[in-house]
Amino acid sequence: MFKQGRRRAERLEFGAFTLPILICVIAVFYYPFIMTIRYSLTKWNGISKHPKFVGLDNFKQIFMGDANFTHAAWFTVKYAVLYIILVNVLAILLALVLDMKLKSTNWLRAAFFIPYILSLVIVGFIWKFIFMQGFESLGASTGWGIFQLSWLGEPGLAFISVLFVSLWQSIGFYLVIYIAGLQSVPDDLKEAATVDGAGPVRRFFNITLPLLAPSITISVFMALTNSIKVFDVILSLTGGGPGGTTYSVAYDIYRDTFQNNLYGYGTAKALILFVAVLVITVIQLTIFKRREVEA
Amino acid sequence: MKTNRAGRIVLEVVMVILSLIFLYPLFLTIINSLKSFSEVMTDVIALPKSLVFENYSYVWNFINYPRLFLNNAVITILGLAGIILVSSIAAYKLARTKSRTSSIIYFLCIMPMLIPFQSIMLTVLQMAKNLHLSESTWGLGIMYWGFGAPLALFIYHGFVKGIPKEIDESATIDGASGFRLFFSVIFPLLKSVTTTIIIIDVMWIWNDFLLPLLMVNGSPDTKTLTLAAYTFVGQYTSDWQYAMTAMVMAVLPSIVVFIFLQKYIVKGVVAGAVKG
Repeated sequence: MFKQGRRRAERLEFGAFTLPILICVIAVFYYPFIMTIRYSLTKWNGISKHPKFVGLDNFKQIFMGDANFTHAAWFTVKYAVLYIILVNVLAILLALVLDMKLKSTNWLRAAFFIPYILSLVIVGFIWKFIFMQGFESLGASTGWGIFQLSWLGEPGLAFISVLFVSLWQSIGFYLVIYIAGLQSVPDDLKEAATVDGAGPVRRFFNITLPLLAPSITISVFMALTNSIKVFDVILSLTGGGPGGTTYSVAYDIYRDTFQNNLYGYGTAKALILFVAVLVITVIQLTIFKRREVEA
Repeated sequence: MKTNRAGRIVLEVVMVILSLIFLYPLFLTIINSLKSFSEVMTDVIALPKSLVFENYSYVWNFINYPRLFLNNAVITILGLAGIILVSSIAAYKLARTKSRTSSIIYFLCIMPMLIPFQSIMLTVLQMAKNLHLSESTWGLGIMYWGFGAPLALFIYHGFVKGIPKEIDESATIDGASGFRLFFSVIFPLLKSVTTTIIIIDVMWIWNDFLLPLLMVNGSPDTKTLTLAAYTFVGQYTSDWQYAMTAMVMAVLPSIVVFIFLQKYIVKGVVAGAVKG
């Protein structure tokens, strides 16, 4: 009797500690997720009372002939690949310099980190101003051709602008992760390599880089999950333009659901995004985890 | 050795110049927020001839800055308090209980980290409307409990596992149990992770855009700072001096906080990423 009572009390306590989080997570993730699956099988404008069930028609239409989606998907892939490579390479290079214990290291780290604490939408607007007004003045005073290009008005350049502004905003984050990673590379290992006659380049590729692997895993993972969902910065920087060339998948979903009121169709796209994120993340984590080495 | 030192000085100078160029856009934003309209139009890079503080009083009143600030504070504090509460207690119990149910619940609660917000935003918004949480700063704050919980749980869980069980046991002998045991003995031990979570979540909630856009954009009384700056700039696309002022006012709180708490913020962000 006594034992049973204690067990019940334990269960009650377990429930009291874990139910709140379960309720929160179910409310904002699982319930909406199930509803997303349901809506993705319907045609609905959000106004009529009942969504009309259409089976897999939305998916068929998306894969067969949705130029907007294909374009947005292609944009996102190009953006994500370039972003992941550039942000990591640049951050590692910067981190190597900052790890040399310069007098200005603290200032430099803070300076490169500052944009990361700003809201992406605001960052987009600031750069819109720089590209539109600032470059005009800079061009007039320096005479450099680079400032006279239409950075937001031409499709190819607008893509570069979006990429560049994203890098500018977030490089500080990756920088501090790599600095922390470099600090955990033991100095005696590098010294031993120097004694063995390895030059700085070989030291970097044979010792530092392999030991940075955990930081690289984290950074690539973060860069991937962030870039595949890119939205805010495009919204304020280019608004999808020029000519709809800078729509990302996330922005395309936003356009379909909230601007075109295609609730069923938009949620079908949202579901595709989810599956893509899931598959890519799992693949990436398995590959990188396998390649890490212990110091 | 001598060339090495010279090289270091060159590198140092190059890096400092690079960092100044890097921050130049922010500098331009600030100086243009202090210019008159005609000055912004004629020369963006020149320093203002005289400081036009009227821009600030105009935008301050137009967007009702104190109100926005209060909204941001309410949303961030409410969201953060809930996230910390629900995830710390759950992390403790789940890490201490070795059972199938426990690991299933843990898995269920951290899995959503893989769900992109855009995949569920429409249905999240509908649910919020059904629960009367939309168009209210309190409602938005409550929504963050769920969105922030998975990462916070994950970070707490990893940490609780490192706290020896003997601490619980000796507290039990002293007569503490349940929530009292947790809040008087365990929670204080979690201070360092709690700081990490506070830093990454404040940065996220304070600057968040899409969820507030969907949830509280209906009335000027419920808007957040970022949201108000966004709508304001949308309306004043040609009045750049006002737009820049709004930008500065939106980002200034973050920059000031960063200047004072730089060390903790960088540390917290790194810790959050490494554990997360």
